[in-house]
Amino acid sequence: MNWIQVLLIAAVVTLLIYLLRSRTNAKAKAWVKVGYLLFVVAAVYAILRPDDTTVLANWLGVDRGTDLLSYALIIAFVFTTLSTYLRFKELELKYARLARAVALQTAQTPQSRSDPT
Amino acid sequence: MIHIDIPGVWIIVPAFNEAQVIGEVVAGLRARFANVVCVDDGSRDDTGAVALRAGAHVVRHPVNLGQGAAIQTGVEYARHQPGATVFATFDADGQHRIADLVAMIDRLGDGDVDIVIGTRFGGSASHGVAGRTPPLKRLILRAAAWLSPSSRRLGLTDAHNGLRVFNRTVADNLTLTMSGMSHASEFVSLIDEHRWRVAELPVQILYTDYSMSKGQPLLNGVNIVFDGFLRGRMRR
Repeated sequence: MNWIQVLLIAAVVTLLIYLLRSRTNAKAKAWVKVGYLLFVVAAVYAILRPDDTTVLANWLGVDRGTDLLSYALIIAFVFTTLSTYLRFKELELKYARLARAVALQTAQTPQSRSDPT
Repeated sequence: MIHIDIPGVWIIVPAFNEAQVIGEVVAGLRARFANVVCVDDGSRDDTGAVALRAGAHVVRHPVNLGQGAAIQTGVEYARHQPGATVFATFDADGQHRIADLVAMIDRLGDGDVDIVIGTRFGGSASHGVAGRTPPLKRLILRAAAWLSPSSRRLGLTDAHNGLRVFNRTVADNLTLTMSGMSHASEFVSLIDEHRWRVAELPVQILYTDYSMSKGQPLLNGVNIVFDGFLRGRMRR
């Protein structure tokens, strides 16, 4: 086994442990965990037998396994970027509502000011 | 002398760092209308204090959120006031004319529409001041109106005009979620979705050096179009 294989597997497994240990929002996260578990299995397999990705790539009409992986990476990256963007927009909306609630509670009417004259 | 045209009118003035001009704008409005609410959108200057002194109700965002959020806040404040029946948005930089606002309120008073929007490109405005809309800005504003399916369907020519007058139906159901400058297109989409009856009225925009320097850069149009595409994909 190469050192790079050891390092990659260690990284993937460490991430898995992190994910499985987080217990927030159990129901929604459960599917993420299952998905990630499948990803880890596939990743470890691909790390140990990198040539097999080329076989899979050839089935799909791609020359090299590396190319297949980079395509998958690009798709995953775009997906992540978009979902992050939407997530941020949602947070902005919640933040705006919070600020609005504060603003409405501290509204000043022209009569209530202390008139200096 | 305070002359009140119609009771129950609330003028909503979203303002961000407008201390220089807000006093004059609010005082001008207060000369005709009893109720003005200035939403100070987290200004770093004393916009809120100046507006309060000029006779406006002041609602202050603790942080800067953007004009769309400010309008929403103003409408939520105004619709909780007893007796509020007519609502208007009016830009804080002094680019709108009170005469136009009064004409729009009269138009709403006819009762056959729920909302009246000002347009720079209305029929009678073509002679006179409307010609002063800078040509590039003119082109982009018309393109923006044309690119929006809702705008086209409703026959609107200038959806990005800050001058709007609407009734309680609109105020009660208004839910602007685009905090920034995309709220204008969102407003049009809401009109379309809720089937509010809409009319346009020609208005004049006073392009002063001040309002030109404060106006949104034309490049912002790109953001507005992009936000419009994403809007449908968001949970609300």
